[in-house]
Amino acid sequence: MPDATFLDSTELVLNMGPQHPSTHGVLRVILKLDGEKVLGTDCVIGYLHRGVEKIAENRTYTQFNPYVDRMDYVAAISNGLGYCLAVEKLLNVEAPPRAQAVRVILTELNRIASHLIWLGTHALDIGAVTPLFYCFREREEALKIFENYCGARLTTHAFRIGGLQYETYEGFEREVKAFCKMFGPKVDEYEELLTNNRIWMGRLKGVGVLSADECKEYGVTGPMLRAAGVKWDLRKAQPYSGYEKYDFEIPTRENGDTYDRYVVRMQEMRQAARIVEQAVENIPEGPILGKVGKVIKPPVGEAYVSIEAPKGELGYYVVSDGSTQPYRVRVRPPSFVNLQALDRMVRGGLIADVVAVIGTLDIVLGEVDR
Amino acid sequence: MVKLLKKIFLWDLIAGLKVTFRNQNPKYICTEQYPAERPKVAERYRGAPRLNINPDNGETLCISCNLCALACPEDLIVVTSERNEQTKRKDLTTFTYDLSRCMFCGLCEDACPVDALELTQDFELATYTREGQIWDRQMLEEGPRPTRYKC
Amino acid sequence: MPDEQKPEGSEGPPPAQGEAPKPQAKPAAPAAKPAPPKPAAPAPKPPAVMMAMPWDSDLARDLKERFPGRVLATSTYLGQNFIVATPEGAIPVLEFLKLEADFDYLVDITAVDWPKRAERFDLVYVVYSFPRNERVRIKTAIADGFHPQTAVDVHLTANWLEREVFDMFGIEFAGHPDMRRILMPEEWEGYPLRKDYSIIQQDQRWVRENLGIESGQ
Repeated sequence: MPDATFLDSTELVLNMGPQHPSTHGVLRVILKLDGEKVLGTDCVIGYLHRGVEKIAENRTYTQFNPYVDRMDYVAAISNGLGYCLAVEKLLNVEAPPRAQAVRVILTELNRIASHLIWLGTHALDIGAVTPLFYCFREREEALKIFENYCGARLTTHAFRIGGLQYETYEGFEREVKAFCKMFGPKVDEYEELLTNNRIWMGRLKGVGVLSADECKEYGVTGPMLRAAGVKWDLRKAQPYSGYEKYDFEIPTRENGDTYDRYVVRMQEMRQAARIVEQAVENIPEGPILGKVGKVIKPPVGEAYVSIEAPKGELGYYVVSDGSTQPYRVRVRPPSFVNLQALDRMVRGGLIADVVAVIGTLDIVLGEVDR
Repeated sequence: MVKLLKKIFLWDLIAGLKVTFRNQNPKYICTEQYPAERPKVAERYRGAPRLNINPDNGETLCISCNLCALACPEDLIVVTSERNEQTKRKDLTTFTYDLSRCMFCGLCEDACPVDALELTQDFELATYTREGQIWDRQMLEEGPRPTRYKC
Repeated sequence: MPDEQKPEGSEGPPPAQGEAPKPQAKPAAPAAKPAPPKPAAPAPKPPAVMMAMPWDSDLARDLKERFPGRVLATSTYLGQNFIVATPEGAIPVLEFLKLEADFDYLVDITAVDWPKRAERFDLVYVVYSFPRNERVRIKTAIADGFHPQTAVDVHLTANWLEREVFDMFGIEFAGHPDMRRILMPEEWEGYPLRKDYSIIQQDQRWVRENLGIESGQ
C-alpha cells in the first residue's frame, strides 16, 4: 500500500521543441519534470546537420569559403574570418594591413549584429516584445553596410583567403562612422528598457548560474565565461588580424548568472563599436589581397586557428595533404560546446527558466549541428 | 530613499515606456511598402545571374572558357561549346545555370575573365516549378521579368 | 580536375536535371596524389610530409621524462605545438597537463581518417591553458576498432565532443557515460566522415523507412 500522505509526484517527461519558438531553431530538449522543477534534460540535436565538414573535404579551399557562412548564419563574417585565418596560417601568409583593418571593422559590426539578434530574441523569450523591433532596426543598418560592401546581407562571403575580394565602396567610412555615432545612444535606449526593469531582473538574476570553474570544466567560452569573472578574450590573449592595435576593454562580471551575461554582452556591443571607430579612423592604404596564388595549395601540414566569435571561441582545425582540397576541416563551434552546459544550468531550476537559459546561451542551431 | 521611492512609483517601468513613446514618432517609421515601393538594393548586390551581350552587335561576351563552371562550389553551371572552324574559336552553344542550388557566393563572377557572367541586382527569383529555376542561355541574357505591382 | 568536382551537395534535393550520380572519386582519391604524412608509400618521389620541428621546452622535457615510451614526440609546426602520444598515453598526458601544468580547458576533440595507414585514425585533443596562454595538441594514432579511453573523467566537455567523434568516425570511447550518436539519427548506418563514405552516400534504408521517400541519390 503506497504512502498516501504525500501527493504522488511521478516524473513527467516533456518535449520542448524541435518546433518551439524559444529554442531559436530546431533544438529539441527532453525535459524531465517534477511539477515545475526540472530534474534533468536531454538535448537532441542534429536537425540542421548538413555535413559541412564532409563538404569541405570535397571542395577546394576557395570553394569551401562560402559554406562556412552557413554555420553561424547570424555572424557569418566571423566564421569567414576564422576560416580564412586558418588557411592563411597553413599557407604561412598574412593579409595586408588594409585588408586586416577592413576585416576588423566588418567582424566587429557583425558582432554587434549578432548580439542584437541575441538581445532581441532573448528579451522576446522573457516577454519583452519591444526590444526586438529596436534591435532589428539597428541591425538593419549594419546589414546595409555589409550589403553595400560585398553584395549580401547575411551569408556574406566577404573575405577571401589572403585578404579581401572587394575594395571598400565610396562612402564606406562615412557610413561606418555614422553607424557608430548612432549606435551608442541606441544601446542606452535598450538599457533604459531592460537593465533596471524589475520583471527583467526578476527573471534573470540568479538564473542559470555557472561559476568560472564550471565554465572551464564545460569548455564554455565567450561572454558566458566573462560573465563568470574570467577576463579572457582571444582578441587580447592571442591577437589576430591586428586586434593588438586597438584599445578596448574586456567587460567582466562576477556572478555568472543570466543577468550578468546580459550586462556583459551589452558592454561588448559598446566595445565593438569602439573598436570599429578606431579602425575606421585610419584604414591604411595599400593592396587588399596578399600573395596567394590563384590556386590555393598549402603544403602538407595542419593548423588550429581560433578566433573570438560573438558566441565564444570558434576554432578551425585544417589538415592539408598538399592538394587543392582540404584533407580535413574541423570546426570547433562555440554554440555546440556551450549548449552542453545547458543541463548543468537548468537542473534543479524551474521550467520557465529553461527558456531564459536557452536565450542566454546565445546558440545558433546552424552552428550546433553544422 | 530615492531608490525606494523609485521602486514604489514604478520608475523603471516609466523610464522604459518613455523610450517606447519616444520611438513612436512617425519620423522613425522604417517599414517598406514592398511590392508597391521597390527597395533599393546595393550596387554590388549578388542576385540573379546575367550573361552579358555585346551591345554593339548583340553577340554574347562569353568565350566558353568553362572557368565559371570550375569555380562553382555547387557545380551548377554547364557550358557547352563547339569549335568554329572559321574563327578558330569556341562558340557558345548552351549555358545552363541551376538557380535552385545557387548560393550567390559570387565565385563564378570572380572567375569570369571577360565579365560576361555577372550577378545582378534582380532579387525576385521565385518560380512555380523546380524546372523554372534552371535558366538557359536565353533566360540568362534577358533576365527575369517580375510582376510590377501598382498600388 | 573535373573528377574532383562533385556533382551534388551532400544532402540536397534530388538532382534537378535528373542526372545520374557520377561515380565518385573513391575514398582514397584525395589522398592518392600526395601521400598522407605518416606512411612512407613506395612512390617515385618521396611523399610530402609535414615539416614539423622538434619542440623543446620545459614542458616538453617534463612530459618525456614523466611518460617514457608513451609520449613519442613533441613537435611544433607553424608555431603550434603538439605532442604525439601512444593511444594508452593520451589520457594520462591530458590529466597531467590539467592537474600539473594548468591546461585547464579542453578546447576540442576530433579525429582524422587516414584509410591507408595501419593505425587508421588520428585522434586529436586540443587543450588550452588560461594561466599560460598556451595551446597544445595531443595526437594519437589508433587502429580501426580500438576503443580509446574516454576523457570525460578529466574534462566534462569531452562528453559531447567524443559523442561527435563516435558519430562521425565510429570510434567508440571506453568508459564514456553516454555513447550514442549525436548529430545523425540513432539508427543511421555508416560513419559519414570516414574517407570511404562518399559525399552523396546515404543510409537508403533509413531514408525510406523514416521519411517515406526514395532517396534521389
